[in-house]
Amino acid sequence: MRRSVSIAVLVGALAIGIGTIGAGQRNFLASAQQKPETTEVKIDNFSFGPATLTVPAGTTITWTNRDDIPHTVVSTDGVFKSKVLDTDEKFTFTFSKAGTYPYFCSIHPKMTGKVIVQ
Amino acid sequence: MHPFDLKAALLAKHAQHVVLIHFPIALFIAGVAFDFLAQWTKQRILAAAAYCNLLAAAVATVPVLITGILAWQWQLEGQRLKGILLMHLVLGGASSLLIWGVCLIHLRAQRKGGDILPGYRWPIEGLGVALVTLTGHLGGFLSGVNLSN
Repeated sequence: MRRSVSIAVLVGALAIGIGTIGAGQRNFLASAQQKPETTEVKIDNFSFGPATLTVPAGTTITWTNRDDIPHTVVSTDGVFKSKVLDTDEKFTFTFSKAGTYPYFCSIHPKMTGKVIVQ
Repeated sequence: MHPFDLKAALLAKHAQHVVLIHFPIALFIAGVAFDFLAQWTKQRILAAAAYCNLLAAAVATVPVLITGILAWQWQLEGQRLKGILLMHLVLGGASSLLIWGVCLIHLRAQRKGGDILPGYRWPIEGLGVALVTLTGHLGGFLSGVNLSN
């Protein structure tokens, strides 16, 4: 009798433990999915880094010019447009709608990037 | 892009200023060099070459100034410039004025016979070459031609 109670307690504890770990993992995955991987794009050496960024809707992205040269961040579709950013100056924009937003530097049109909002 | 794709080259946004700027730079520096050689060797043909180069340089500054201002107004929507961009604009304007000044000195001398050119043109031509070089350096820096990858 005592042995069967012990086994039942052990099985119950195991079940609660596994359940707790599973729930924790689900919460962790959910929170990881809610948080964007990165919200900063660095402008350096005449390129945007990362050049393509995938974020959930509602994310605010900050572009920081780490280059010695002035740059701009201009949406190809006219959705956003920064002023001329000198060294260490920033530009932020919040992406509320899902879609693909290609952009470029209007001073150096070969510099291009893309934000994919899911 | 194909190197002989004229349509793409001529209609490329913002590219014209970067292309056209090479003409007044080359013509002005060559003009000053011919002027120096003409003075040194006393050869009329070199003085004529200097005159032609300086006149062509002055004319070539016009489309360069226009395309530079258009790039500022269209690409940057006429934003208030600062830093390197402002310095490039100011030095570019000053260089153009000096090129025109040197050209006028030679034009006047040409009308009076072409033999007597005032000595004060030398510091103006020297300053012009220095400003053109500095403006070109800043322009190259802005366009990223000196980018090391």
